[in-house]
Amino acid sequence: MKSSTLLFRSIAILIVIAGVAHLVSFTSTNTDVPKGTTYKANNVPIDNSETDYIIGKWSVSHQSKEFTGNIIYEFKKEGQVFSAYIYEYVDENGNNQKGEGTKILTIDKFDGYKGTGKYTVTYQEQKYEIKCTIDMIDENSFTMSYDYYGYSDVETWKKL
Amino acid sequence: MIEFLSKQLNWIDVEYWFYIFNDLSLLYLILPFFILELIRYAYLKRLNRDLILDSIANIITFGAFLITEVFLGILAITKVYFWIYNNFSLPHLELNWTTIFCAILLADFAYYWEHRLMHRIGLGWATHTVHHSSPHFNMSVAYRFGPLDAILPIVFSLPIVMLGFDPILVLLSEVFVQVFQTLLHTEIIGKLTKPVEYIFNTPSHHRVHHGSNKQYWDKNYGGILIIWDRLLGTFEPEEEKVIYGISEPLNSTNPIKVFFHGISRLYSKLKKTQGAKNKILILIKPPDWEPK
Ligand SMILES: [Zn+2]
Repeated sequence: MKSSTLLFRSIAILIVIAGVAHLVSFTSTNTDVPKGTTYKANNVPIDNSETDYIIGKWSVSHQSKEFTGNIIYEFKKEGQVFSAYIYEYVDENGNNQKGEGTKILTIDKFDGYKGTGKYTVTYQEQKYEIKCTIDMIDENSFTMSYDYYGYSDVETWKKL
Repeated sequence: MIEFLSKQLNWIDVEYWFYIFNDLSLLYLILPFFILELIRYAYLKRLNRDLILDSIANIITFGAFLITEVFLGILAITKVYFWIYNNFSLPHLELNWTTIFCAILLADFAYYWEHRLMHRIGLGWATHTVHHSSPHFNMSVAYRFGPLDAILPIVFSLPIVMLGFDPILVLLSEVFVQVFQTLLHTEIIGKLTKPVEYIFNTPSHHRVHHGSNKQYWDKNYGGILIIWDRLLGTFEPEEEKVIYGISEPLNSTNPIKVFFHGISRLYSKLKKTQGAKNKILILIKPPDWEPK
C-alpha cells in the first residue's frame, strides 16, 4: 500500500473518532449550561447578585482525629463555576493556622437557592471527587451534603 | 441511547471499571487460563523443561522491563502528559461513555501504529524481537517484553492527549488494549465466528502475528480490532500451521540473553557496518535492511 494512502486513511480514522467524541461532548455541555448565571456572547460571566453572594469566606465546624475546630473556606468565582479553597484552620483554643489553599468544593450549577457540584474527599491518600448538593438555609448559611455508596455526610457552612 | 452515551460520569466509577478489567483480570482470567494451558501441555506431553524455563524467563523479562521503565523515568511520564493536555490540546472532553469508547478506539489505533513501527524500524525491532523470540505461544509470552518497549507507546499516545482526552483516561485505555491483547496469546482457542474474526483481533489472528513462516511476517499488528490491519494492508488469515518464533532463532531460555538479544544483535550489526550514515540508517530502516 502506498504511503500516501496509509497517511490519508490514518488521518481520516483520527478525524472521525475524535470528531464523534467532540461532537457528543460539545452537545452535552451546551444543553446544561448552569442556570441562574447569564453569559454574554463571548462567555464571560456578568455579575449576578442572585448567586454571587456565595463568594467570600465560610466557616464549617469539624471534628476528627486529626483536627477539631473550625475550617474556613473561601469561595471564588472561576469563569462559570464557584470553587471553595481551604483558607485557614481555627482550633478549639482559637489558634489559627493558614490552610494549604486546596480546592475542596466546586459548585457548577447554582440558582441562588440550590446547587450541585463536586466535593473532594481524601481517603487513604487518594483524592476522590464525589457529587454533592448545597441547599441555602438563609443568606448566611447553607448545608452541603453528599452520599456516595453509603459514605455520606451533611455539613453546615456559615458565612463569616 | 444518546443520553446514555453523553451522560456525565464520575471519575471514581470509571477508574473502578478499568480496575476490574485492567488489574483484576490477572486473577480471574489470565492466571486460570494459564493453568488451563499448562494442563493442556501436560495432556499433550509437551510440558517439558524448555517450556517451563521459557515461561519463567517471560515473567522475569516483565520484571526487568518494569525496572527499566522506572529507571528511564517513563512511568513518571504523566506529568508531561498533563502539561501537554493543559497547554497544547483541543478543548477538554467531558467524561462520558462516548469519550471512553473513543479513547479506547484511539488507543487501539495508536497501538496498531506503534506496533507496526516496532517491527519496521531497526531500533524498534531490537526491543520488540524479545516478545517474538519464544518458540512457544501461551499467556506467559504476553509478558515477555523488551527493554525499550514502552518508548514508542509514549510518542503515540501524546497525539490522543492533544485531541482533548484526559491523560489518565488515555493511560487506562492503553492498559485496556494491552490486557485484551494478553488474552490472545493462546493455542487453546481456535477460530471464532466469522463476524468476530472480521472485526476483532483474535487468538487465531495473533498466532499469525507470532509466526516465523515467511507469509506471516509483519502481519496482524492490531490490538483489539483487526479492521486496522484490513484497512491498512497488513492482514493475513491463519492457514498454514504457525511455527512460532523469529527468523534467526534464539535457542535460549536464559532471561538475560532473552532480554538483551535484540540490543546485542543490533550492536554487532552496527559494529560491522561502515560509515555514520549507514549506521543511522540501520536504526531507522526495516530490520532486514543491509547497506549496499
Ligand atoms: Zn509484534
